[in-house]
Amino acid sequence: MPATQKPMRYGHTEGHTDVCFDDSGSCIVTCGSDGDVRIWEDLDDDDPKSINVGEKAFSCALKNGKLVTAVSNNTVQVHTFPEGVPDGILTRFTTNVNHVVFNKDGTKIAAGSSDFLVKVVEVMDNSQQKTFRGHDAPVLSLSFDPKDIFLASASCDGTVRVWDISDQTCAISWPLLQKCNDVVNAKSICRLAWQPKTGKLLAIPVEKSVKLYWRETWSNPFDLSDSSISQALNIVTWSPCGQYLAAGTINGLIVVWNVETKDCMERIKHEKGYAICGLSWHPACGQISYTDAQGNLGLLENVCDPSGKMSSNKVSSRVENDYNDLFDGDDASNAGDFLNDNAVEIPSFSKGIINEDEDDDDLMLTSGRTRQRNHILGDDENSADATVLQTGLFKEEKEDDQAGNIHSLPLIKSQRPFYDGPMPTPRQKPFQPSSTPLHLTHRFMVWNSIGIIRCYNDEQDNAIDVEFHDTSIHHATHLSNTLNYTVADLSHEAILLACESTDDLASKLHCLHFSSWDSSKEWVVDMPQSEDIEAICLGQGWVAAATSTLLLRLFTIGGVQKEVFCLPGPVVSMAGHGDQLFIVYHRGTGFDGDQCLGVQLLELGQKKKQILHGDPLPLTRKSYLTWVGFSAEGTPCYVDSEGCVRMLNRGLGNTWTPICNTREHCKGKSDHYWVVGIHENPQQLRCIPCKGSRFPPTLPRPAVAILAFKLPYCQVATEKGQMEEQFWRSVLLHNHLDYLAKNGYEYEESTKNQAIKEQQELLMKMLALSCKLEREFRCVELADLMTQNAVNLAIKYASRSRKLILAQKLSELAVEKAALLAATQAEEEEEEDFRKQLNAGYSNTATEWSQPKPRRQVEDDAEDRGENDDLEEHEVHKHGKMHFRASTNFSDTPTGKSSAVICSNQGRVNPFKVLVNSKEPAISANSTRSTNILDNMDKLSRKSTPLNRAANNEKSPVIKPLIPKPKSKQVSAASYFQKRTSQADKTEEIKEENPKIPTSETPAMSPQNSEHQRPKTGFQVWLEENRSHILSDNSDFSDEADIIKEGMVRFRALSAEERKAWNNKAKGETTSDGAEAKKRKRVVDESHETENQKEATKENLSLPKKQKALDLPANQKLSAFAFKQE
Amino acid sequence: MDAAEVEFLAEKELVTIIPNFSLDKIYLIGGNLGPFNPGLPVDVPLWLAVNLKQRQKCRLLPPEWMDVEKLEQVRDQERKEETFTPVPSPYYMELTKLLLNHASDNIPKADEIRTLIKDLWDTRMAKLRVSADSFVRQQEAHAKLDNLTLMEINTSGAFLTQALNHMYKLRTNLQPSVSAQSQDF
Repeated sequence: MPATQKPMRYGHTEGHTDVCFDDSGSCIVTCGSDGDVRIWEDLDDDDPKSINVGEKAFSCALKNGKLVTAVSNNTVQVHTFPEGVPDGILTRFTTNVNHVVFNKDGTKIAAGSSDFLVKVVEVMDNSQQKTFRGHDAPVLSLSFDPKDIFLASASCDGTVRVWDISDQTCAISWPLLQKCNDVVNAKSICRLAWQPKTGKLLAIPVEKSVKLYWRETWSNPFDLSDSSISQALNIVTWSPCGQYLAAGTINGLIVVWNVETKDCMERIKHEKGYAICGLSWHPACGQISYTDAQGNLGLLENVCDPSGKMSSNKVSSRVENDYNDLFDGDDASNAGDFLNDNAVEIPSFSKGIINEDEDDDDLMLTSGRTRQRNHILGDDENSADATVLQTGLFKEEKEDDQAGNIHSLPLIKSQRPFYDGPMPTPRQKPFQPSSTPLHLTHRFMVWNSIGIIRCYNDEQDNAIDVEFHDTSIHHATHLSNTLNYTVADLSHEAILLACESTDDLASKLHCLHFSSWDSSKEWVVDMPQSEDIEAICLGQGWVAAATSTLLLRLFTIGGVQKEVFCLPGPVVSMAGHGDQLFIVYHRGTGFDGDQCLGVQLLELGQKKKQILHGDPLPLTRKSYLTWVGFSAEGTPCYVDSEGCVRMLNRGLGNTWTPICNTREHCKGKSDHYWVVGIHENPQQLRCIPCKGSRFPPTLPRPAVAILAFKLPYCQVATEKGQMEEQFWRSVLLHNHLDYLAKNGYEYEESTKNQAIKEQQELLMKMLALSCKLEREFRCVELADLMTQNAVNLAIKYASRSRKLILAQKLSELAVEKAALLAATQAEEEEEEDFRKQLNAGYSNTATEWSQPKPRRQVEDDAEDRGENDDLEEHEVHKHGKMHFRASTNFSDTPTGKSSAVICSNQGRVNPFKVLVNSKEPAISANSTRSTNILDNMDKLSRKSTPLNRAANNEKSPVIKPLIPKPKSKQVSAASYFQKRTSQADKTEEIKEENPKIPTSETPAMSPQNSEHQRPKTGFQVWLEENRSHILSDNSDFSDEADIIKEGMVRFRALSAEERKAWNNKAKGETTSDGAEAKKRKRVVDESHETENQKEATKENLSLPKKQKALDLPANQKLSAFAFKQE
Repeated sequence: MDAAEVEFLAEKELVTIIPNFSLDKIYLIGGNLGPFNPGLPVDVPLWLAVNLKQRQKCRLLPPEWMDVEKLEQVRDQERKEETFTPVPSPYYMELTKLLLNHASDNIPKADEIRTLIKDLWDTRMAKLRVSADSFVRQQEAHAKLDNLTLMEINTSGAFLTQALNHMYKLRTNLQPSVSAQSQDF
């Protein structure tokens, strides 16, 4: 039964081609001079899968799912089959590779090159290479012995050699062929072949006959020939059974012999008589596929096969079909949704490279190849070409980027083949956060913390289901989707839907404002002509829609059009929360699989402003954005396709910090988590686990899982790393509290306190750990992160563990910290003061004070002009000076920080015993009675608060004298004032007389600290009011000690009543003014009585201040006057 | 103990629900429950789950084992083995009954699950009867039955022990009965 010849079909552009079957025979794989490998399910396959492997492919071989190709960049590459994903480079030559073959079990390949070399490479480990040297001209073709002992090669030097693979020696060499100088001039490409299975015979096409040689003896028992053969044979190939031998000639004749009987079984003539350059038997049945030198593919069926096994082929190809479907339905299409769409058109040049010289029908195959090589894609061998420079450039670039390119190839297969540099990535399409792909018939349009919107789009029904997690917000809703809405968003106020424009309908934005109190709960807005909505989001009271014309349109929730502004690039996604709008757009074109995204963060509230001005959005390499949104607390977050969740770190200049990698939680490689929400308190990443896909199906209804956050810190296996991670995670995830506070939102104080407590505990643990490890420097670094309170504990800890140097360092640190804290507070206070003064009419001083001088200078001014009261400006200075005096009077003045400073200074000698002393009832009583708010003394513990409060209630305004010798930075200032005022001296003397008193000072540190932390004490409240003033006025003071003083002084300068008032205010005991006045007076009297003798002197000073005046500066001036009188 | 009591005990089992309301932690004698966040799964005792479900305040998530494939495996294993095999939950019968009766809309393939559980139950009850039968027949003094659930024990336990008592009485009366009866009459 003669073989049936199917009509040839176009396979590749003109030029050399190669063909092989895959292992199961279900598809035909061809490669050609257009650099593509095509996978044909059968000859009638109209849409073969194409894999671009290079500029030109000279030879391909396929085994075990590995597709090896010899390409014109002188390499032998591996691709996976059937996916076509680049899998690396096996070997390189200095010029073209002419033939590449697998051995029988597919573990090795052999490649023969025009640089005279033959190499055998292990497929799994390309470092295992063997080079066979001996040919004196380009190698034409190769064949592996099925037993893996020998390798046969044919070369342009006219010889056919058999090599021993193990020692790379030449076993035998026959001078059979015509000599020529290059492959292109060779008459035949001489594709020789070993008999499969046994490897007994080696078939070599020589001229018009096939020479067969015995293995081992290398004798030539017979030749196969036929009268029909009129031209040289180009190629021979054995049937898989080893019984038949097929050969193709350069004029298009295919002949098949039965080797045993030496009968010629088939003679088939090519339709057009082109040279046969690829010939391959089906691994199972009698099919031969062949290709010619013009790029056509043909198939012979029922070759030497009386029974005909057509059916089996069909079946297997169907199986293959199914497999492909499966594959397509899975991840690939998934990624495709985002990436491989019409979003970007990348010009395809691959088809354009055709040799247009002439129709060389009558040219030999080899010359055809030459022409192509001489074309613009010139190779090394044509180094004289003018194009070589260009090619060389590309080559260099390619070699550098090879590793990077290799993975990006599948994305960019349609790009021009002669550019191998970084490849642009297709831009990802716009998407709604937490939605599943559009093409699904049942999909989630959105799944957020409010509810779920599902879309059903099948034959019977096109509908949208809205369901609320909390049914108290709104009941579930069912809408018919006649307009084919594709994007949606949901908030507790409204449902927002949008559709793209169709031929006759404009793109629409549809809002169902269910929380509206009037009866019409819906509105629809049409976009202008040819403007499509691409992304939408809902905020509190507003709606945003980004369109294809790069516009962002804002609406109120009721449908009033508001601002319209331009986006810097095509939108990717948007999210809204409260007043914040978070936009991600394409900043430009990414390369090598990366996306190039930018981010804008706007606040649309009362004060509209832009927080992030189009900064680049960091993404994991080769990933794209999959989710954007806000945490429930309002911090922007996003997730990329590698599962990395990042959060805006407002505490570090609006940088992005990765807080979780969902891929670490996945069990399987293809499992993913589909993020639906993020909560910072408690720390929860709400997401839906998806087995084997990126997104969940609508049925069965998926359940939300909760993942914990984990910052990518080093060495989290160790205790240190763990605690560091915990600490910084806590810091990061409580940034939102600061943000809320700053923007005047309500938040729970307890949360913040808890966070601070947690952080301080962690720091203490870390400190203890470092202490144990004798890392004292590290201890100090850690203490630097602590609050004042914790530092004191740290000092205690250090001294207990007998690390006195550490304790000393820590106490120095405590001083600095206190100074710093005081500085900020003082600045705030000062600012307040001066603003008041300005308001009171000292407008001429505004300029001076608005440009703050160094502290020292101000003081000097104060001193110099102290006596000149004429000028208003001087008044201002005097005001400042008065403060200083006050502070000198109470020289050790226990205002918050300075007392801490002093105490810790003292503490250097023995900072801890003092604490014990303070417990003595007499002293504590003393302190309770005599201190002002700022120096209620108690232990470090928080328990002391009630006591402090009590003390604050009754305390007298008079400041108890404390340590007279401020050290370090304070010395100059303090001594300066002490010299000037007798009061200071007095107090000092008194203190010396009363050695016990100073001991009670140490505890002062803690109450003050606790006051700082507890904003509801009087001083704190006052501070809060005055903060901004002080800050602005003193912003550039370098000497912290001065600033402390300044801060203390400001508060001290208030009259006793006022301080009292602040205290009361703090306790919420704000009483009416009249009543309070009386009360104050009484309190003041009381305080007078309770005062010690030593305090009496100061009391005199404070008396003038007590004269109640609504105008604070006036009051202060009065007191200053009193000072002068003394 | 009757079946209702066993069911009562089973109602302490935790099941996962997805509430559609928001509620802070609730503090009960048996322990704290919640907090309830709409849309977030939370573990509650069965009694509360059923109650909330009846009021349409939640969606139930079927326990992990309540899955057709897993139950088929269990059933096949149960049929293959001579002895009792471990069951997916010590209250599998009660849980299935309650969940399927009250929340069959939240459980995929509820009917198949009902059948599978019934099969499992029948297989086990048959085994129990056979073993009780051989126990009585061979007049064994003791037997060891592992992996029985409370409900299963409860079905035959009371009856079996009472029957054994009766039989014991009858047997002990058998020998001296000759004289005893003669005494009576």
